[in-house]
Parts: sequence; C-alpha cells; structure tokens
Amino acid sequence: MTNFINRLTLPAVIVVLVFGVLFYAIETAKQNLEDSVMISGWVLFGFFVILALLNVRKKLIAFNFGAVRHWVSFHIAAGVLVIAIFLLHTEGQIIPLGLYEQVLAILFWSVSVTGVLGTIIINVYPRRLTDTGGEIIYDAIPAEVMALRQEAENCVIDCVNSSGQATLSDHYSETLDWFFRRPRFYFNHLLGGDRSSAWVNKHVEEVRRYLSENEETFLNQILRLALAKSTLDRQFSCQDLMRKWLLFHVPLSIALIAVSVWHVIMVHMYAQ
Amino acid sequence: MSEAAKIDRPTRWDAAFDADMTDADFEMLMARPEITDIDAASFPNSVSVEGIVRYDMRVNRYNPGDIVVREGDYGNSAFLILEGELVIARSPGIPADELGRLQADRQGIMQRITNLLINNSWIPEVRDTERYTNRASSAGTQNGKQGAFLQDVPAIMRDQDTIILNEGTLFGELAAIGRVPRSITIFAEKASTVMEIRWQGLRDIMKFDKQWRQTINDRYRQTALDSYLRQIEILNDINDEEFAEVTEKCLFETFGTFDWNITFKRGNATEPIIAREGDYPDGLLVIRAGFARVTKQYGNGKRTLTYLSAGDMYGLDELYKAWKDPDTDSGGLNCTISALGYVDIIRIPLTVLEQHVFPNMQSAPETQFSLLDRTVSEDALLEWAIDKRFMNGTQSMVIDMHKCVRCDDCVRACSATHGGNPRFRREGQIFDQWMVANSCMHCQDPVCMIGCPTGAIHRSIETGSVLINDDACIGCATCANSCPYSNIVMVPIRNKKGASIIDTAETGQPIIKATKCDLCAGRPGGPACVKACPHGALDRIDFRDFHGEAFGE
Repeated sequence: MTNFINRLTLPAVIVVLVFGVLFYAIETAKQNLEDSVMISGWVLFGFFVILALLNVRKKLIAFNFGAVRHWVSFHIAAGVLVIAIFLLHTEGQIIPLGLYEQVLAILFWSVSVTGVLGTIIINVYPRRLTDTGGEIIYDAIPAEVMALRQEAENCVIDCVNSSGQATLSDHYSETLDWFFRRPRFYFNHLLGGDRSSAWVNKHVEEVRRYLSENEETFLNQILRLALAKSTLDRQFSCQDLMRKWLLFHVPLSIALIAVSVWHVIMVHMYAQ
Repeated sequence: MSEAAKIDRPTRWDAAFDADMTDADFEMLMARPEITDIDAASFPNSVSVEGIVRYDMRVNRYNPGDIVVREGDYGNSAFLILEGELVIARSPGIPADELGRLQADRQGIMQRITNLLINNSWIPEVRDTERYTNRASSAGTQNGKQGAFLQDVPAIMRDQDTIILNEGTLFGELAAIGRVPRSITIFAEKASTVMEIRWQGLRDIMKFDKQWRQTINDRYRQTALDSYLRQIEILNDINDEEFAEVTEKCLFETFGTFDWNITFKRGNATEPIIAREGDYPDGLLVIRAGFARVTKQYGNGKRTLTYLSAGDMYGLDELYKAWKDPDTDSGGLNCTISALGYVDIIRIPLTVLEQHVFPNMQSAPETQFSLLDRTVSEDALLEWAIDKRFMNGTQSMVIDMHKCVRCDDCVRACSATHGGNPRFRREGQIFDQWMVANSCMHCQDPVCMIGCPTGAIHRSIETGSVLINDDACIGCATCANSCPYSNIVMVPIRNKKGASIIDTAETGQPIIKATKCDLCAGRPGGPACVKACPHGALDRIDFRDFHGEAFGE
C-alpha cells in the first residue's frame, strides 16, 4: 500500500495543480461574466479522453510512450480530479436536471464508482491471493477443478471396491459431489470468509463415525482434496473479480465518452 | 490451416561458421601443423576433423587497426594466429570510446507499426522457412570482425604497455569455454590472418584429441591466472617482476562440476566445501568463475549470508589479522565457503600476501560478512534464491504477488512483441510474495549453451543477453534439457500459410525450434513485460542487488 501511495504522489501533485489552475480560470471567467461552464466542460471532456487513452497505450506496447504503471498512476489520480471537475461543471449537482444529462451523470458516476471499487480491488485482492497460496493461472482453474473432482470420484470408487460398503459413496453423492462440481462460495471468498472450509469439515466429519478404519483412509483423502478445492475456489473468486470489474468499467467508460460527444455537439448547437 | 509442408531436418553443420569459406582456405587450414598433428582416427565419423575445419572454423583477415576481440564482449570462439602479429593493449587500456561497439538491429517506427497492423498472431510460431534453405553463417559478426577498428595504432603502440602475439598463438579460449566476457582487447598492428574456431568445434577437438586438450587446459590456467590477478586491487602496486612470482605461486583450483545443471535438475545437487569455518586460512580465495555460498554456523544450522561470484574474494581480513597479530587465537575463518555448481578459484598463498601485499596495506581490511547487520528473516529470501540457484540469473523475472493483479498484460505484451507467441509463462516458484517466473534469466553462467551443436544459442556481444539464432537452431533440445530452470521451450513451427512444417524424411516428424525470452532484443525501451505491467509488479532483477525494497519503482 505504501508503494501504491508513493506511486500516486507525483500524479496527485500534478492533478492538484491542474485543479488549482482550472478553479482560478473558472472564477476569473465568472468575475468577467464569461461562460465558465464551457471551460469546465471542455476540460472535463479532455480528461475523459486522456483517461480513455490508457487502454490505447496498453495496445501500443511496442512504442515508447512510457511505462504502463505510470499511466495507471496518472489514470487513478486524474480519475479523482475528474470527479471534482464534474462537480464544478454541474455546480455541485450530483444528478443534474434534464433526462439526457441525467443519463450522462449516471454513466459518469457508474464509471467513477467502478473505478474507485477497482482501485480498492487491485490493492486488496492480490495480497489476499498470495496469502491464500495455491497460485494458479485463472484459465487453468476449470481444468484443475475437474481434475480434483475426478480424483475425489476415483477415491470414492476405490473405497467402495475396497470395503464393499456404499456409506461413503452415498454420502459423497448427497453432499460433497455438489461442492466438487464447480467453484463454490464465491461471495464468501470475496468477503474473506471461510465458510467453504467449515462446510467441508462439517460434511466430512458428520459421516466419519459411520465409516470403518479402511473407509476413513479414503475419507481423509477426500478431505485433503476438498480443502485443496477450497483454496482453488478462493483463487477463482478473487481472480475472477480482479478481471470482471474491468468488464463494467471499460464499456461504461466508452458509453460515457460517446454520450459526452453528443452532449458537446448539442451544447454547441444550442449555444449558437 | 493448410496441409503440412516439408523441409529437410536441420543438422549441426547446416549453418557453417563461414558459409563462404574457399577451398584454398580450407586446404590451408588442413595443412597447418596444429591440424595435421591431430589424431583424426580418434574422432567419430559424425564429428570428423575435416567437418570441424570446414564448418566450425573460418579464416579472418585483419588490416592494421582492426579489433579482433574487445574487452567486455561475450565471445563464443577462440583464435589461432596463422600469419602476422596481433597486439594486446595491456595497460592502461584502450579508452572505451575508441572501441566502437556494434549496435544490434533496432526495430524502427515503421516496422513496429507494420507489426501492429499486419500481425498473424492467430497462427502460432510462424517462420519464414525459405530462410532455412538458404542459411548464411550462424555467427553474429562479419568474417569475425567486430566492425570496429582503432584509428591511431601508432599512438596506441606508443602510449600503451603492449604484448605482441605471434604466429601460432592460440587465444580467446578462456571466454569461449568459460562463458565469460573477453578480458582484454586484441587488435592487429599489421595485416594478419587468423583462424577462428567456434566453441562447439573447440569442444569436440578437446574431447577427442589429447594434445589439444592438454595445450588448452595449460593455457587456460595460465591465462586465467594472469588476467585475473591483474584485476585484483590489492595486487595493483606490485611491479612486474614480483607479479611474475605471485603468478607462479598462485594455485588454480576447481570445485564442483562444469555441467552442474544435470545433478541440480535431478534434485541431488551437492555443494563441495571450499573453505570451512574455523579452519586456519592458508590463502586468499578469489572467485574466477561460478558461484560460492557463504554460510555461518547459526544455532543448529548453517545460515547463508551471501554468495560470491566472479571477482569476489574471501579470507583477506582473517589472513591480515593472523599476520598482524600472530599470537591471537581467533585466526580461523569466519565463514564456510561452498561451491554452488561449478567454481574456479584462484588461491593466493599466505606467503605471497605476507611478502607482497600486507606490508603495503595502510589499514586492516574490513570484516567481510557479519551476522549483526541483518536478521534471519531478511536473509531468508536470498537463502531461498541460492537454494534454487536463481543467483545465476542476471535478469530474473520477479513478480511481486502483492501487487500483481493476475491480468496477464505482461504475457500479452510479450506475445505482441514476438508475433503472437509469448516467450514466458506467468508461473514459477514462489517465496513469500515473490514469484520467479518461468522466463529466461540470462544467466551469468548459461549452462544452456554447453551442448548447443551449432552455436545457435549465444551471448549477445552488445548486451550479454543469451539469445537463440532461429536460423541456426536445429531443434535438438539440448539447451532446453540443460536449462536448470526449464525456461527454454521447444515449439513446432509453421510456415506463413499456417501449415505445420515436417521433416522430408520418412518419419515426417515436426520441425521444432527452441524459444525463450530474448529481453525484447531490438525493441527500444527494454523488455515489454516490464513496460506493460500496470502496477509495477514485475521487474527484471539480479538477486545480488535484490532485497525486495523499492521494487518496480
């Protein structure tokens, strides 16, 4: 977190200076009875475009336009500035009057909120994932889930073959099969809870007293697999969130710019 | 994708060291006593002496002022003077600005725009296979010339302390075999003819001919001692006469095995002890090549303090104390030194130091290693890195998992810079929050180069990075098998139409090539992966300087 704040220091200073200059320009315009909204509007639109350039920069990696991490730092600092400029532009109204402007404002606040959430996500979840262990590439998780399920099912079959009893297999198909089918406890993992392990332990332990010593060996193997699956589920939840938030932020940003362009055109049409 | 296309399977000598070698040059080389004295019968048919001369050697002709080898360059070949004289500028050395280094091909703006617009990244591992059928030399330089020459040879001869190398002198074998940079600059004072042999050929001659092996081993030891001792600061004040005595008395020792990677990959790596804590020191240890671990007894175990690499010394403070105060009881070594893989040591005996060094020292040398300034936790990362032999890397890809959002932008950037084929995997060994990803580390001791039959895998002369010449790679996978970190990947290739390339032979096996990280050679701005990381989580580091602070900033 300290590193993150350090990275933001220079962009934050630049952003504060920009805001100071803008504020001074607007106040001067007001004193001269000029249209200050035009100034804040164009600056706001300019920042929308600059913020959107981050995605373009990512695509042009073969060119020396500065490291992406510096762009991201500036993107975050400028994102905060844009909220202040927006409030200046709307003269403090969070949701302005007029249907079109309301759509515009809702899009703006959606982008801002997803941006703020994204900033929190990128600072919280990497550390949580590292502490969880069992690092795995996101795209490999489904295959790993399937492998664990397969191993668990083989274990159950071996248990039946070895003991001649169906106690464990029945219990497995009634309870643990659900757990092994796909990633579970998505939101609990995101919130930092450990319901997954608790659930596994509960369902493993409640059948233990009905099993022979031989069957217990298989149950212990299934418990080990289930706990591994629990770790995998946490990896899935956190990695999924770290990817999915951008699926909201980026399309909303594009929509915001598109709606803003029309807003600018309309303003200038009626201004004439 | 269309049907498979066929090409002849590449073989070792497809890409000759000098594709344009004339018959006259070949016959001249074959008639040289150094070649005629070789027992050709001891060579297998697959690696004949004629083959080595034809394909692994070339004849270079130098004009006055031409640089033959340049200090600091990584070379993969040795030289034998056939005619004329060459000069070593020993002291004070030729200024760096007069040595004009070759620049690697840089990607221009237009080329990068073209790559962006016309990118067939949906077809993996595309190659221009027509290039393979018309291979040029596998070597990186033109006719063995560095592309640079010295402007004012008479002035250099006047101002420099020089050594003249005459006909029949062999040189450059130290850098070729030891995978270390050239230690001196050698240039032609007069027009000279020189035979250059790439290290694969030299290796084979040494393997099958006892006389060459003996000669090169003797020279290797002499050259190593002389050139390395001259770089040691405490020996700077010694005059030439005394220096010869020092050289004669020094011992040249080797610990571990040259192909240490094999035992390491099998999981049974050993660390032979070079010097043991508490033992009485009998000489100053200077690491010439390889790595050594420095440990100290701590509780019931050995705690790693640091590691030593080429140029580092050990034992000076203990020896000095013992000399200054002979009655003291604490004359033993402070630490244990053990070999990490393969280590070349120069041991300067105590008698030499007592006679030529200690009397000239103004003050006692500082204690090298101490447990006082760091905690066990602080040393744990380095200990882990040494256990995993990551200290070998000069450009290890380390990811701070506390910052990494697992977005894979680094992989995408790598892919975009390499025609849609990422050259690393965002996977690897993790310690605490640090992941060492499966990407070529551009090792100080690149064992992947040991077995390459064609010299396809080589050191960049300009940067020292380990690169693969795709044209010269025959897909034998020796490098991939040798890499202790599994960072070289063999891939089946396709032509521009997307067709798989298979062997013209009956087997119809796919043609494969070795691939790995090339640090985005030719791309201005350095590795794309580092530039692309949105949160500064990824960096290329040398573990010697890495303690986790200010990472990625």
